[in-house]
Amino acid sequence: MVPLKDNLWYKDAVIYQLHVRTFCDSNADGVGDFAGLTQRLDYLQDLGVTAIWLLPFFPSPLRDDGYDIADYTAVHSSYGSLEDFKAFLLAAHSRGMRIIIEMVLNHTSDQHPWFKEARSSRENPKRDWYVWSQTDIRYEGVGIIFVDTETSNWAWDPVSKSYYWHRFFSHQPDLNFDNPAVLEALWEIMRFWLDLGIDGFRFDAVPYLVEREGTLCENLPETHAIIRDLRKRLDLAYPGKMLLAEANNWPVNVRAYFGDGDEFHTAFHFPLMPRMFMSVKLEDRKPIIDIFEQTPEIPDNCQWCIFLRNHDELTLEMVTDIERDYMYDEYATDKTMRINRGIRRRLAPMMDNDRRRIELLNGLLMSMPGTPIVYYGDEIGMGDNIYLGDRNGVRTPMQWNGDANAGFSTADPERLYSPVISNAVYGYQAVNVESQKRSEHSILRWMKSLIKLRNSFQVFGRGSILFLKPANHRVLAYVRQFGEETVLVVNNLSSSAQAVELDVRQFKGHIPIEMFGRNLFPRFGDAPYLLTLGPYQFYWFQLRRI
Amino acid sequence: MAEDTILADDLIRQLISVGEVDLIVGISSHNNATATSHAYHAIEQGFQQHFSRQRAVIVNVCGGNNGDRDASGSGLGDLAEKNVPSVNSLRTVHRVTADFSVPPSPGLALRTVLTAADLLRARACAIVSPGTTNLTPDRIANLLMPVFREKFDFVAPLYTRQKFQGLLTRNLLYPMSRALLCSGIRELYSDEWGFSGRLATACLNQDVWHEEPIRTRPEAWMAISAISSDFRCCQSFLGQKLQSATGPGPDIVEVFRQTVGNLFWCMDSRQSTWLDCKRSEPVQTFGPGQELTSVQTDLDAGRIFEMFRNGVAELGPILGSILDPETHAEINSIVACEENTFRFRSDLWVRTVYDFAASYHHAVINRDHLVQALIPLYRGMIFSFLMEHSHSSAAEIESANEKLCVEFERQKPYLTEKWQAKIEVKS
Amino acid sequence: MRQTILQGLVQAYNNLVHMIADFLPRFLVMLIIIVLGLLVAFVLKYILRIVLSLTKLDRVSEEAGASRILRIAHLPSITALLSRSIFWLTWFGFILIGLSVLGIASLQEQISRLLQFLPEVFVGILILFVGLMTANFLSRAVLLAAVNAGLRSAKILTWSIRFLIWILTISMTLEELGVARQTVISAFSIIFGALMFGLAIAFGLGGQDLARKALEKYLGNTNKERDKEPQPL
Repeated sequence: MVPLKDNLWYKDAVIYQLHVRTFCDSNADGVGDFAGLTQRLDYLQDLGVTAIWLLPFFPSPLRDDGYDIADYTAVHSSYGSLEDFKAFLLAAHSRGMRIIIEMVLNHTSDQHPWFKEARSSRENPKRDWYVWSQTDIRYEGVGIIFVDTETSNWAWDPVSKSYYWHRFFSHQPDLNFDNPAVLEALWEIMRFWLDLGIDGFRFDAVPYLVEREGTLCENLPETHAIIRDLRKRLDLAYPGKMLLAEANNWPVNVRAYFGDGDEFHTAFHFPLMPRMFMSVKLEDRKPIIDIFEQTPEIPDNCQWCIFLRNHDELTLEMVTDIERDYMYDEYATDKTMRINRGIRRRLAPMMDNDRRRIELLNGLLMSMPGTPIVYYGDEIGMGDNIYLGDRNGVRTPMQWNGDANAGFSTADPERLYSPVISNAVYGYQAVNVESQKRSEHSILRWMKSLIKLRNSFQVFGRGSILFLKPANHRVLAYVRQFGEETVLVVNNLSSSAQAVELDVRQFKGHIPIEMFGRNLFPRFGDAPYLLTLGPYQFYWFQLRRI
Repeated sequence: MAEDTILADDLIRQLISVGEVDLIVGISSHNNATATSHAYHAIEQGFQQHFSRQRAVIVNVCGGNNGDRDASGSGLGDLAEKNVPSVNSLRTVHRVTADFSVPPSPGLALRTVLTAADLLRARACAIVSPGTTNLTPDRIANLLMPVFREKFDFVAPLYTRQKFQGLLTRNLLYPMSRALLCSGIRELYSDEWGFSGRLATACLNQDVWHEEPIRTRPEAWMAISAISSDFRCCQSFLGQKLQSATGPGPDIVEVFRQTVGNLFWCMDSRQSTWLDCKRSEPVQTFGPGQELTSVQTDLDAGRIFEMFRNGVAELGPILGSILDPETHAEINSIVACEENTFRFRSDLWVRTVYDFAASYHHAVINRDHLVQALIPLYRGMIFSFLMEHSHSSAAEIESANEKLCVEFERQKPYLTEKWQAKIEVKS
Repeated sequence: MRQTILQGLVQAYNNLVHMIADFLPRFLVMLIIIVLGLLVAFVLKYILRIVLSLTKLDRVSEEAGASRILRIAHLPSITALLSRSIFWLTWFGFILIGLSVLGIASLQEQISRLLQFLPEVFVGILILFVGLMTANFLSRAVLLAAVNAGLRSAKILTWSIRFLIWILTISMTLEELGVARQTVISAFSIIFGALMFGLAIAFGLGGQDLARKALEKYLGNTNKERDKEPQPL
């Protein structure tokens, strides 16, 4: 594929999400670091990913896995130094990979100097950088996000004897965006990293920036104004950089975060993710079709980001009660697997380690409209540890080989930031990069070929989507089109073989070429096109008119 | 007229697309697109609310009018088209249409649904009528739930009725079937019932589909098949029994043909089922059970009595060839009574019905004529009922019905004796 | 003269002996045919009885009302009737064949005419029988329908139907037998046509308003009357 000379690289990207702590430890302290990550960049380049999204690596008390930031312009000492980061950045760029980092706008750690100042006295200049109240009844009715641990959005500060507002953990006080100084400070932070050369920011917890009485304190117009402001500054000073919104909401609400192409470049499509899992379990395409029908058009320079799993729980916020119950019953029968209206499991265990289902879901991820994000370890089918508390079960060390500590670290096992997965099915002895590299037919090899195939065509990242709706509801079929490229994707969502007749009259005369094997299939005509698919099988057909 | 083959290519193609299901609901639309559309909506809502996780399909058996197919829309239900975030339906609800060249008989419609249930390995099935004006999602669930959750094989409906509604059912069909089949199922003849896939397969394999009683009214035979073959049967309360809002009531002759004639035919073809049956067993009931309401109705009792009298007089020779002489004599004696003193005693009514049943078996006259000849006597019985219970409460009427049931059971040996006797030549 | 008389007597005697000698064998053959016919008739009667009892014709006949007609006419059941009929027909046929062997010309001619007439008689009987059965069946059906519809004139309707079918049946039977064919056809046409014409005038012209009102009332009442009766199911 010849990259287009535009600034829309994020449309063609395949993003790899990881936490530097989990990837590779170079100094035997039991914690992954940037030096170790740099050593593993060849692996990522070989995999075919074109961008890396780094979870927070800033100085932090680490009470929320780094999302409680105590210093925005440094690197946590456990992960190395700023110099290490710069070296990593340079190495990544030299391998053609872009780097996206976190930008937690909504809140800081209570250990951040800003908050320490703000709470020190009511007259402190930084007092107004946070949201304070003498009572805890302001913004009544606003929902609590971390329902398992928090009972209120207000926390009592014994130092300044008043309440402060926090939408997340109580040790993460929300910043006050009604104070212009806050925005300016954050812009300076962004500039710091942009000047170093990073390629994009993922803005965490975007909907909650601004509070207003009588509202849900989410998705307010003022929030959008802030984003537009930042975007404008970014485009002026740093063209070609990308902003990614984390807004866990219905597509129609997330649409607002694209603005008229003048807010975020990309945003996560949260509601699609659980529906992919649901469709496979139900053996029915309806959940996927329904959510796409609810997904509005977005500006041409914008993109959805889609994913299967990530560092958080598999969120079930954007589903109905019936759907949530169903997901719990099917994917989280053990209540230990459930947290915060979600499921804290990895992809492979949720698929019962069924290779066919894992491939099917990854096939959907790579062929549906949007930029795919692969969570580290899912490319080798890593397992999880639901007994680790919070969401740490899906944040275990990367499994590189069958040696001690899975090749992640040479430290003593007790020193590791988290124990490695070591059960009989997903343990590092069975599931690791080295063994999969040696096997021609491993998941890793297959993922590599899948990503390579996707990277060969722009249609997946930039194309339109047209759903064919055959009578067999177990088959999800759609056509992607972009310029001269036309691809037909047919997925069997069921555990049994299926026959499907596709109405392809509008593509009459095209010859389908199966993209993995490059074999020709019979030409499309007027009659319904009959295909048969094995359990969980899928086809990608390039349609050529010869 | 020969009927179409059940499995047309188009139907098979539709069934292939649906695949295995948990639930199947069959409707037989009769050139009424509005009613069919309402039925679809109610059924889909029923699936949404009560069976959101189950795989389901609606089978519409229609024929002779494209309007019904247009009302049914595409193969996927309405819910597939909606894009409202709050829709509770997890799965696609399929609609399958079996389109015949002429409107199919109820027997053919049922057979089509049974075939679909068998092929799709459905666990729970129901038949509903688009003509039921108060078809609600809960009604659908009440038919399916006992099969799906409680593993029953046959679910008969139970209704709230006005106290003078359904007198044929309450004074003949129910007590007689209860006495003969030893089963407490009240509504053998209804437009809606539920059944299991297992029972569907068993019924499908019986070679009775060409018989006229099965073509016109197959549900009682299905219930009798279930009862006699030790399938688990129950009743489920569905609410008010309402007829279609437009048009006059059903023709009494046709009703008798389809119900009483059908019951006699079933008795004749399944003698071993009821001849050996001794005592009736209660049937599990889901919901509050039958309720009678005391709503006043506008009935012309005088005309009913007149028709009874006229019928007995005009049909004297015919009745003479059907009834036992003693029974006939008693009827002739009560017909002379005045309206205000007229009573058609329960024991006499039971003997009358049993005489007719035995004569049907022996075919003393044309069977269709025999069934019609019972109508004037039925009118006499309901006149007596109306007079006796005009001011009775629902409980009192229920009690009287129960006594009638006991009388049917008590006189069963009389029927058995008549049934097995050699035919007497009557001139 | 005595000689002539003697010769005449001898001649006559010789002729008689000749005739007897000529006739006797034919007579014996006739007897043999008749006896054979009797045996065949018995066998056929027996076979037919078995076949008819297997087909349960008696029950069908009972249902159709034919048995009742037979009982009124003091006739045996239809199975017996048919098997006896076949017995007599068969034997009668053999008797006629036997008689034809005798070679008596005038007798042969009569037998021939009788044989030609027999099928018509048979068909005539059949028409009569079917007609009577039909009259019985239809009149009963009309009676039941009228009684159940609450019509007061049920008996009149019943007898009208029965009478009409009888007239038709008798006419057809007589026509089949060839008895006063032209007279019967003409008489039937006149009677039937007049009846229909009269009804047409009565309803079409003379009582059109009444007819209209009667029809309206009947059709309207049918619906109203159904509503005045309790719902049976």
